[in-house]
Amino acid sequence: MKKRYVMLADITRCINCKACVVACRAEWDTPLGYSRDWVHEVESVRADGLPQLQLFPGRCQHCDEAPCVDACPSGAAWKRADGIVLVDEGICSGCELCVPACPYDARWLNPETNTISKCTFCQPRVDAGLPPACVQTCVGGALHFGDANDPQSTVSRLLHNKEWLQLNTSEVPGATSHYYYTAGQTLPSSVLPHPVQQHIPGTLLSEVINPAAKLGIGGMFGAFVIAGVKKIIDRRTQLSGKEQHHD
Amino acid sequence: MSYSRGFDPKRRAFLGASVLGAVTPGVALGRIDVPHTQESLREQDTAYSFCDMCYWRCGLKVRVREGRAVKIDGNPEHPYNHGVVCAKGNAGLMAAYDPDRLQYPMLRTGARGEGKWARISWDEALDRIADGLSKVKEQYGAESLAMIGHGSWEKPYHRLAHAFGTPNTTSPVFGLCCGPRAIGNMMVTGRNLTGNETLDLENCKYFLMLGRNITESLHNGETMAWVEGVARGAKVVYADPRYTITASKSDEWLAIRPLTDHALLLALIHVVVNEALYDQQFIAEYATGLDELKQRIQAYTPEWAAGETDIPAETIVRIAREMAAQAPAVLVYSPRRLTRSSNDLGTAVSIAILNSLFGVWDRHGGIFTPATFAIPEPDLPPYPHSHAERADGAGSRWPIANTQYGLTNEMWRAMADQQPYPIKALITAGGNGFMNGTDYDRIHRAIANLDLFIAADIAPNEMNSYADILLPEASYLERYDDLQTGGAKEAFVAIRTPAMAPLHDTRDAWSICKGIANRLGLGAYFPHDSVADLIDERLHKVGLSRAELELKGVIKLPADPAKNFPREYGLPSRFDTPSGKLELIPSTLKQLGMDDAIDYEQQLRPQDGEFHLTFGRIGVHTHARTQNNPWLADLMAENALWLHPDAAAARGIENGMRVRVTDRRGRSEELAVKVTARIRRDTVFMLHGFGHFDPRMRIAYGRGGSDANLASIEQDRRIGSVAMGMALVRVEKV
Repeated sequence: MKKRYVMLADITRCINCKACVVACRAEWDTPLGYSRDWVHEVESVRADGLPQLQLFPGRCQHCDEAPCVDACPSGAAWKRADGIVLVDEGICSGCELCVPACPYDARWLNPETNTISKCTFCQPRVDAGLPPACVQTCVGGALHFGDANDPQSTVSRLLHNKEWLQLNTSEVPGATSHYYYTAGQTLPSSVLPHPVQQHIPGTLLSEVINPAAKLGIGGMFGAFVIAGVKKIIDRRTQLSGKEQHHD
Repeated sequence: MSYSRGFDPKRRAFLGASVLGAVTPGVALGRIDVPHTQESLREQDTAYSFCDMCYWRCGLKVRVREGRAVKIDGNPEHPYNHGVVCAKGNAGLMAAYDPDRLQYPMLRTGARGEGKWARISWDEALDRIADGLSKVKEQYGAESLAMIGHGSWEKPYHRLAHAFGTPNTTSPVFGLCCGPRAIGNMMVTGRNLTGNETLDLENCKYFLMLGRNITESLHNGETMAWVEGVARGAKVVYADPRYTITASKSDEWLAIRPLTDHALLLALIHVVVNEALYDQQFIAEYATGLDELKQRIQAYTPEWAAGETDIPAETIVRIAREMAAQAPAVLVYSPRRLTRSSNDLGTAVSIAILNSLFGVWDRHGGIFTPATFAIPEPDLPPYPHSHAERADGAGSRWPIANTQYGLTNEMWRAMADQQPYPIKALITAGGNGFMNGTDYDRIHRAIANLDLFIAADIAPNEMNSYADILLPEASYLERYDDLQTGGAKEAFVAIRTPAMAPLHDTRDAWSICKGIANRLGLGAYFPHDSVADLIDERLHKVGLSRAELELKGVIKLPADPAKNFPREYGLPSRFDTPSGKLELIPSTLKQLGMDDAIDYEQQLRPQDGEFHLTFGRIGVHTHARTQNNPWLADLMAENALWLHPDAAAARGIENGMRVRVTDRRGRSEELAVKVTARIRRDTVFMLHGFGHFDPRMRIAYGRGGSDANLASIEQDRRIGSVAMGMALVRVEKV
């Protein structure tokens, strides 16, 4: 059967230790100042006045109808049948048209190679039967990777047993991605995808500017609504400081 | 600040290869569909090791290609980390490839600390060291040598110092870190719980965490087990003046007043004893001193503790009852570094008492008995007996201080004051006296008194910048080391093998110490040609071989649950106290007249405009050792002072501004401010290990503020360990 590779990020288990970030750097030689993955640390204050901290390990979501693939004029951006979105370095011209097309800021120009770099789900490792480097080294046991079409896989079991959501955007109609977060928490705006900045039909623009996350499998739609999202947008702007490097 | 000079950028994990992927139809609209080239992994070798980036010592599986270490993975077989490595472990490559490393032996040519050096040969370095040590011994006696070690390779330096005839070897682990915790547990239970904690975290149902920031003061195996326990539904009550990531994973955050953990613990004991919530059968069978304890804690009511701690009395009562309901699968989770107040001994003893009242010893979800793999040391001649007492007073003036690791703070004091007798030579093996919180002024005075200062390390730091002779150590990726044997549920032995040949003119600690010992006529203490030979002899004694151990990097004996958790299997627990019982009023403390540690001591409070200064760790740095690591500095290059929004507003301070922090002695540090509701109004916080002032550390130099320059050097007055949490500071805009 066709594989459908997915990654699950259990935000209840993430401790922002950044083992994933350094493992990715070590595995793929990303230059200092750039990273294919990240952990967003979002501080806020709860209704009862107590502080709150949410942690979102992120990377390319491997969209099924990936706007980066559509935006790429050379054909270097492409998607495998199993869902992994890749860059063919031999073809990539480094034109960067795909960079603003990504709603998750997951693509960037590598100044050393002058080609686009992004998370590949560690495709060479996956093809060799190994887990992605970030998953292998995840201290909290927050990251899981596998074939969602294999009912015996860990990810299938987890998708079945827990509530998850995806961060799909309305400018990718009907698309699903291959990346899931734990459901049940109000999502801060900084984690939500931003509008695709190219190839957006005008009629979609208003929807895109206020993107609400779309629920994935077994969703809990009531858990977060646009009102809840908007409420913390202002808080989000207060966040700064050198101790939240990836924010 | 490029790191690529030392690090081959062509080491990528893949080759462009011939795997051609089919293009998904319908996706690439308007583009030419061509077969795509995909990458595939290259062949590689494996070298097994254990980590030196922090003190937990995870098992490693290092990927090696063309004679170079290219990626560090966790060893899935190792019981301390089960295949993961943290950010620091992953960045261990850059400890080896660091362009700022010490690369060859150096002789100081300018004034101490001036930074003027000449490269010398290993022979010249070792000759000069032997000559200098002989002169000091002749003039002042062997005990005038001190050795301070801090790293997984410090062991041969201890051996060298003992062979030389000095009792003065020390490591910060006791006096600057875990000492009070170890002593408190030893006094009550006869078990020290130091090193790798033996807590059954996965199965615990209720954690009361006293500033144990397990997610950021990160030790992989312990953290993994705690996260698993929380995921399985354990309740977490987290007491800390600061809202950490651990607090964010907790059910309740108690913003406790700094230095008052002991008050909270005494009130919990008060409730547990008075309401008879303790494990009555266990206490009757195993414990002494309950009646006296009950009498002594009557004054410590929850209402009294509320005034000390800022935690409501009803919350304290509720926690005591909730924990009793879940006992024995509960843990009063001690801080690892418990060097905070003038009575850390009382805090540590209270933790041990409370855990004992809940009957957690040798029970599921409590504290287990570790299994150990006993591998005898090689046969060596006996060390010459020194008649001198330790200069730091461990075992004499400080009778309950550990004499193996000593009191590093007191050793620096002895050097600074030249009391009780002259200390004229110092060997340091890793470590950094300035940044580990023992007072800049004291370290300066100590070094000024030395005739000879030899520093061995991998990378430059403030302390070794003052050395007379600087010995470059091979990094842990470039050497063998002595075996790792540990206490976990499974007994194990693990090996450190070189992933690559030394990149520079460096040597490992064993051959350095052997070289010095040979020149001093002490070669009999280093009979092995290399540390690999030492490993061979030790393994041979237990019927194993290096080849067997190198197959998977670790050999484990199967865990025996009846030995880890005897009381779950109808077997007795053992407590190696003088009475063989749990001593709720420790007899050793009574004999020494120190049992008043059980009683509460009023702690310092900030006066007008002052704050408690707290400091701590984050998952991407270890102590003051990793701020110059390019990959870790890329994640966090400098620290900031955490300040509550109300306190900031009162001073006109806004987030990101520069502030000056000044203590009562007038010492000050300047750094950026992080205005956050994640800290009490009367407390400030800074991450430990920043504010480096050695310009050889080209990334870390001048970045952030140094907590070590502000931390208190008061002491626990019974143990002698440092009480770093007693600093009060003022904060002003720069």
